[in-house]
Amino acid sequence: MASISEKPMDVFGATLSRRHFLKAGGILAVGFSVAGPELLTAGTSQRTTMKNSLDPTLPSSWIEIHPDNTILIRTGKNDFGQSTTFTAYRQIVADELSVPFEAITTVIAGDTDKTPDGSGAFDFLGGGMPNIRKAAAYTHQALLDLASERLGVPKSKLAVKDGIVSGGGKSVSYGDLVKDQQLKLTIPVKGSLTSISGLTIEGNPPMKPVSEYTVIGKSFKNSVTSSKVAAKETWATDVRLPGMLHARVVHPKTLGSTLVSAGKLDQAKFPNSQVIVKGNLVGVVASSEWEAIQAADQVAKDTKWTDWKGLPGNAKLYQQLRKQSDWTAAPVQKSDDTKGSPAAVLASAHKKHSATYELPYMKHAPIGPTMALADVQADGTVHIYTHNQNPQALRGEIAKMLHTTPDQVIVHAYPGPGHYGRSNGGNAGAEDEAVLLSQAVGKPVRVQWMRADDMQWSTQSPAAFSDIQIALDDNHKIVAYQADHYMPAMQDDRPVGAVLAGLPTMSAPDVHSGGATSTVNEIQDPWIYTSVPNVLERGHGTFQVGQKASPIAVGLRDHSMRTPVQYQQNYPRELAMNEAAALAGVDAIQFRIDNARTGNKKTDSAKAERLIGVLNSVRDASGWDTRPSPHSGAVSTGPQPVRGRGVSSLLRNGTYWACVCHIAVTPDSGVIKVEKYTIAVDPGIIVNPLQLKRQVQGGAVMGISHALLEEVLFDESGVTQYDWNSYPILTMADIPEIKVELINNPKVGSYGGGSEAANALAAPAIAAALHDATGKILRRLPLKPEYVKAMLST
Amino acid sequence: MATLNVNGVQREVEASPDTPLLYVLRNDLQLIGPQFGCGLAQCGACAVLIDGKEARSCVTALSDVAAHQEITTLEGLPARWAKQKGLSADEAKSALHPVQQAWIEEQTPHCGFCQNGMMIKATELLESNPNPTVAQIKDAFTNSGPSPNLCRCGTYTAIIEAVQHAATIMAKGR
Repeated sequence: MASISEKPMDVFGATLSRRHFLKAGGILAVGFSVAGPELLTAGTSQRTTMKNSLDPTLPSSWIEIHPDNTILIRTGKNDFGQSTTFTAYRQIVADELSVPFEAITTVIAGDTDKTPDGSGAFDFLGGGMPNIRKAAAYTHQALLDLASERLGVPKSKLAVKDGIVSGGGKSVSYGDLVKDQQLKLTIPVKGSLTSISGLTIEGNPPMKPVSEYTVIGKSFKNSVTSSKVAAKETWATDVRLPGMLHARVVHPKTLGSTLVSAGKLDQAKFPNSQVIVKGNLVGVVASSEWEAIQAADQVAKDTKWTDWKGLPGNAKLYQQLRKQSDWTAAPVQKSDDTKGSPAAVLASAHKKHSATYELPYMKHAPIGPTMALADVQADGTVHIYTHNQNPQALRGEIAKMLHTTPDQVIVHAYPGPGHYGRSNGGNAGAEDEAVLLSQAVGKPVRVQWMRADDMQWSTQSPAAFSDIQIALDDNHKIVAYQADHYMPAMQDDRPVGAVLAGLPTMSAPDVHSGGATSTVNEIQDPWIYTSVPNVLERGHGTFQVGQKASPIAVGLRDHSMRTPVQYQQNYPRELAMNEAAALAGVDAIQFRIDNARTGNKKTDSAKAERLIGVLNSVRDASGWDTRPSPHSGAVSTGPQPVRGRGVSSLLRNGTYWACVCHIAVTPDSGVIKVEKYTIAVDPGIIVNPLQLKRQVQGGAVMGISHALLEEVLFDESGVTQYDWNSYPILTMADIPEIKVELINNPKVGSYGGGSEAANALAAPAIAAALHDATGKILRRLPLKPEYVKAMLST
Repeated sequence: MATLNVNGVQREVEASPDTPLLYVLRNDLQLIGPQFGCGLAQCGACAVLIDGKEARSCVTALSDVAAHQEITTLEGLPARWAKQKGLSADEAKSALHPVQQAWIEEQTPHCGFCQNGMMIKATELLESNPNPTVAQIKDAFTNSGPSPNLCRCGTYTAIIEAVQHAATIMAKGR
């Protein structure tokens, strides 16, 4: 095609190049070039164009503006029900480009060969600066430059509304600006595509002033919801390939068993089945799904494993965690809020609260067990069809397992059950097994974990314990706060099938593993009680429980789950805050305000102001009765329910939260019923009120479920829960009245992370309410009847 | 060979009689509304209506369903509504079941994996109780089936609001 090239233009550090085409067509594609660390972490050190990827060295597309004025956006973040990529991302792009929401007609998310930036389904709003916002801002500037040239009007005199650029009495649409041209904007990025956080767009293009937002702030609907509800969406579970086989995996007897002998298949009964053994990985493939299930059951009964008893079991968990874990496995971390000399103040304090708090392992427990369909082709290309929070990271992990390069691996992302963090590091469980079985049989293989596989062979949110000390002065204020948080490594991203098969994976979490997969336990619960003069928070990390002792290097594998690390640190802090308030004889909300406030309203920090804002909001909305805890009528015995209320607060990703739970507890049975749950949230600018409200409501329910019910039960060999009866979650009958107060706070100038943290607020508020109602405190989770009853009867 | 009456159509199926209906629907008949959640009738993701009653297709053997029994999956809800309301073929084509409409208007699903069962349960409930109270909705979704209908994303509040919204749409007849 004939074309005329023009001199590239500089757009705030990005480069715009243009070619006029003599034929119709044209597109403005915003691409990027690599700057910074290696693009690929796994397999290759060459920074060259990677096959089956959007070309990182040549411009490729984040955003396409089409001649018909429609717009397409791409993101590596694979929405898991948060709705962000289909609502907030479209709103953010629409406002930066000054186009209507509806102009963004297509969102491509997750597929490793069709999206540019990788990373996982978390922190979608990226501290107010998600990649897609910067991409849109760069694009907007480039379009203005083009319009200025086309219209002969200086850029400063141009205005855009609904995708029409106007100035000097003339106007042109975005579509007309890109028509018949191929325009490439090269923008700077850094990072590593297959790492957990993917690539980040660099630079500082001018952003639209917050005061001019017209699309952000409105409750747009999620287009994917409509297709899911109408049974028109293709889920990962729906993908079928020609010649595909169904498979089930026979997982080892314990989390440390090695294979003695694989079961013999009853070929007469299961003529179309086949057993595949690779190290300690035993799979059964069959032409039909029902045969695969039955054949795998038969093979499992006949498969012999070694025994292993290397776990502490629930009863001894916290004792062994404290005494027998290697807490020198990682350097002790201190928070940025460290100040003063709390040890000295605590030593001389005459009013002091000192206690230990314990949190159990919890399951992510997606409502559908993990599954994947893999097609390892004769030329070595691997296609994986699955639901995954971080497809690019999965790509790297599979490449490593197969001794190949990520360009050989393509992950096709589909909707699936929410994982709540379990696959944000690239795998949820079945993907690697599907690849290995497909490779073995030379056909596409679909591995579906059964419910028991998902309960017993997936990762879990790690157990933790904390020692908290608080000293009070004579004015009932905190003079010193000291916290020591202990937790095994938060995130093991080794694909378990690869581990069982004895194939290469990243190393198990240790001090050298990077970022989230390290044994280092960072303080991730930002300190919010800003007027406290002496603060020390320390994080102590260690190896996963049983992993080093396990002959197959498995043990209790951990993985971040919704509000990870912070959940484990905020529950002890906030429950201790309630106890300290009770010790001080001060109302628990007022106590928080007093310890945030400088004493002079005018000099309160912005941090204190926002915290006080959510606390006041939740106090008013919940009908909170201001008084110290416990309640004057607190009772810890008897068959009649007694009532209490408790509060909690948290800051995460620029968003302030406060929550009040009103409960009724029956001392004789230990049964807690949450009757009212009120939560206030100030994320700065609210992008989409309806979607935020729905996410907060969901997080509330999950948080109550964590607080009241959830605990991984295990013996010395492995997890003993295998279904929804043995690992119960909250049902509809159990939910309280839920009231959500959304505080739109535009003067913050940005949007904070929306809804993830809603799950963290319930546990400390309910535990405080239990204390308020009964005068007794339970410093462990979950608050299940057995534990509550035992505590109340002592 | 077994005969099934699914969404108003007679379908011939070649599968062993003990095959759970879920796999027949998904793998043989390409009806993808019902999802595999537990295989144990403990969650509701696989629910279908059999003669108007919610059933868990993951534990219902193919041989348990007689040829005359009407199976309705999520895909069949619009036609079920159209038939109940005597809508014309054209109207029926473009209409979703009021439960589906309400689920969209209320933006009920998060991941959406359990919502097939939630919409099936809502349809069953509203066909017998057109104006349920919150307590009745909670009871239906927790106690009326083989197990509570479970949602891990915590959309119960949104489901209750959507059931009530669906009731108002149904009361208007469209």
